[in-house]
Amino acid sequence: MSRVLVPCHVKGSVALQVGDVRTSQGRPGVLVIDVTFPSVAPFELQEITFKNYYTAFLSIRVRQYTSAHTPAKWVTCLRDYCLMPDPHSEEGAQEYVSLFKYQSPSVTFPKWLSHPVPCEQPALLREGLPDPSRVSSEVQQMWALTEMIRASHTSARIGRFDVDGCYDLNLLSYT
Amino acid sequence: MLQEESDLSLIIAQIVQKLKGSNLYSQLERQAWASLQRPEIKLESLKEDIKEFFKISGWEKKLQNAVYSELSVFPLPSHPAAPPEHLKEPLVYMRKAQGSWEKRILKSLNSMCTELSIPLARKRPVGEQKELLNKWNEMGTDEPDLSLFRPVYAPKDFLEVLINLRNPNYENGDSLSFRTHLGLIQVPLKVKDIPELKECFVELGLNIGQLGIDDSTQVPPELFENEHVRIGQKVLAQQDSAAAQQYIRQGSPTALRAELWALILNISSQPEDVLYYEQLKTNVIQHDLLVDSLIYKDVKLTASNDDYYFVFEDYLYQVLLCFSRDTSVLSHFAFNSASPPKSYIRGKLGLEEYAVFYPPNGVIPFHGFSMYVAPLCFLYHEPSKLYQIFREMYVRFFFRLHSISSHPSGIVSLCLLFETLLQTYLPQLFYHLREIGAQPLRISFKWMVRAFSGYLATDQLLLLWDRILGYNSLEILAVLAAAVFAFRAVNLMEVTSLAAAEKKNHLRELKSMSLDDIVKIHGLFWLF
Repeated sequence: MSRVLVPCHVKGSVALQVGDVRTSQGRPGVLVIDVTFPSVAPFELQEITFKNYYTAFLSIRVRQYTSAHTPAKWVTCLRDYCLMPDPHSEEGAQEYVSLFKYQSPSVTFPKWLSHPVPCEQPALLREGLPDPSRVSSEVQQMWALTEMIRASHTSARIGRFDVDGCYDLNLLSYT
Repeated sequence: MLQEESDLSLIIAQIVQKLKGSNLYSQLERQAWASLQRPEIKLESLKEDIKEFFKISGWEKKLQNAVYSELSVFPLPSHPAAPPEHLKEPLVYMRKAQGSWEKRILKSLNSMCTELSIPLARKRPVGEQKELLNKWNEMGTDEPDLSLFRPVYAPKDFLEVLINLRNPNYENGDSLSFRTHLGLIQVPLKVKDIPELKECFVELGLNIGQLGIDDSTQVPPELFENEHVRIGQKVLAQQDSAAAQQYIRQGSPTALRAELWALILNISSQPEDVLYYEQLKTNVIQHDLLVDSLIYKDVKLTASNDDYYFVFEDYLYQVLLCFSRDTSVLSHFAFNSASPPKSYIRGKLGLEEYAVFYPPNGVIPFHGFSMYVAPLCFLYHEPSKLYQIFREMYVRFFFRLHSISSHPSGIVSLCLLFETLLQTYLPQLFYHLREIGAQPLRISFKWMVRAFSGYLATDQLLLLWDRILGYNSLEILAVLAAAVFAFRAVNLMEVTSLAAAEKKNHLRELKSMSLDDIVKIHGLFWLF
C-alpha cells in the first residue's frame, strides 16, 4: 500500500495558562499546537512523525466528522503518551517519533490506540519471530534501497587513503 | 505490533547487509558449495541439509558470533526520518560542542604544521623507506628530536570543555536546593542510581564469586576458582561469543584471557587479516605523517616511563603507526559524535575528488593515547593480532572516552555518574573537597579518560577491562573511581588543598591498591 504525505498546516504553539502570562511566576507546562488539513478530501491517517524538543507527554485530540447531519466532535486519540521518561533529564528530549494507526478492520475512521511506551522496551519477540518470507521480502526491499544509495555515493576505494598515489596535503580544513 | 516487526526486520536487514561484505560470508559460501559433495546433503532437502551441516561443523556458531558482535557494536537503527548526524549524537548542543572542540584541535595541529614547517604528510624517499623497514622491530631505539612537538591536547584541556557544556533549554534556577548538582558537569544526562547499577551489574554482587577477590590465597580454590576455570575452558571449547561475554563478568583466569577477549571481540586471525596488517605496515613505510611524531612523543612521555610497559615500546609503534593509516576505522564515525578531519591534496583545495581524511583513520591522538594499547601487549605478542584487538577495543569503547556525546558510556555521562554517586553517597566528603577547591572530578577525570591504564597495576587493570567487555559498558570506570574515593575517604577528609589531595599517600598510589582492597573492604557500592 503506498503512502503519501498529507499537506498540513502546523500553527504556532499556544500556552495553556490560567491568569496573566506576564505577571505570573511560573512557566506554562502545557502548550497546544493546532494542525489543520487544508485539503478537503477524506483520508486515512496512518502515521504522524515529528521530532521532539523537550516535550515530556503528548496528547492528541482529533475533530471527527461522523456524518453530514451531526456536528463535529473532538475525540481524544492519545492521552499523556510519554516521550521523556524523566522530564528533568535528556532521555528522549530530541528524538524522532512516529505514532501509528492500529490496524483494526472494524473501525471505519482512524481510531488511535496508545503506542506501546518506548521506555518500557517491549520485547521484540513478544509476538514470536516475524514470518521469514515476510522478512526476506523486506530484506529484498532494503537491498534495493541500499544499492540505490550506494550507487549514488561517490565510491571510495577500499583501503586507499591517497588520491592516485598522492597524499601531499595542504592544511586541515574547517568546515 | 507492526512497528516492532518492522523494527526487527530492519535490524535483520542491516546486519545481513553488513555481513555480506565480510570474509565470513565468502567462507560460508565456499563451505556451502563444498558441502554439496557430502553424501548426507540431498537435493530434495538441500536447504535443510546444508543448515544442519553448518550447525554440526561449527559454522553456524561462527555466524551467531558475528551477528552477536554486530548487535553489540552497532546502535539500533534509528527512526527513518532521522538524519545521519542524529545517529552520531541526538542532542544538537552536544554536536555543536563537539564540532567546536574539533575545530580547536584542527587549528592547533595546523599551527604546529606552519610553525615547524613540517608537512602533514610526506612521501618517504626510497632510502628512508629501506631504513625504516630494517628498523621496524626496534623503532624504540630511535631518538628523534621531538622537543618542538607538543601533544595536541591533554585530558585536562578536554575537561575544561566538558565543564562548560550547557543545554540552552535547561534552567537550573538560581537558588540552591537538594536537587542542585554540586559537581563540575552541568548537563542533565540520565545516569544510573545505585539500585539501577545493582540490577545492571548483578554478577558483581557480594554473594557471587569474583576473580581478583575470591581467588586470593586466603580462599581455598575448590570454593570458586577451580570451577570458574573449568567453565571458562568449556566456553572456549564451544567458541560462543555470547557465553564468553556472560562468563567474563566474573573475571577471566589469566591463562584464558587472551582467547576469551578475542572470542568476545570476534577476532580470529585469518590470513586476510595478517595481509591487511602488512598492507598497513607498507603504508607506514611509504608515507611519513605529522601524527607519527605525536605518537612517538606520546609513547616516550607515557608508556616508556611506566615500569610495566616500557618493554613494549616497539610494539606500541607497530600498532599505533599502522592504526593511523587504517581507513576501515572510518566506519565507526557513523556512531561516533566526532568526525574525521578533512583535507585536500595540495593545490586542489575545494575540489571534492581530491578530498581526503587526515590522518587516514580520522583519529588524532592526544596525550596518553598510547596507554590504550599498552596493557594489551601483555596478552598478545603477534603484531597483527595485537593490532586487531586494539582496533576493535577502540571502535567499541575507547573512542567514547575522548568525544563529547550523551551516550551512557560516553565520558560526559561517566563524569556525571561519578559525581552523582559521590554527592549522593559521600556528601560530607564531596562537600569538603569542594570547599578546599579540590573538586573530585579534577582528580578522577584522568583515570576515567585512560580507562585506568597506567593508574592501576596491570593485573588489576585487566580484571577491570574484563568487566568492560562483559557488560559492554564503560560505566564501571565511574563506579570504580567513586569507590576509590570511598576507600580513601578518611584520609581525604583531612586534606586541605587540591595538591594535598593528589599527593602520594592518598590517591596517586592507585597502583598499590588492588581491586580486592577496594571492592572487598568497601563492598564496592553495595554497602553505600
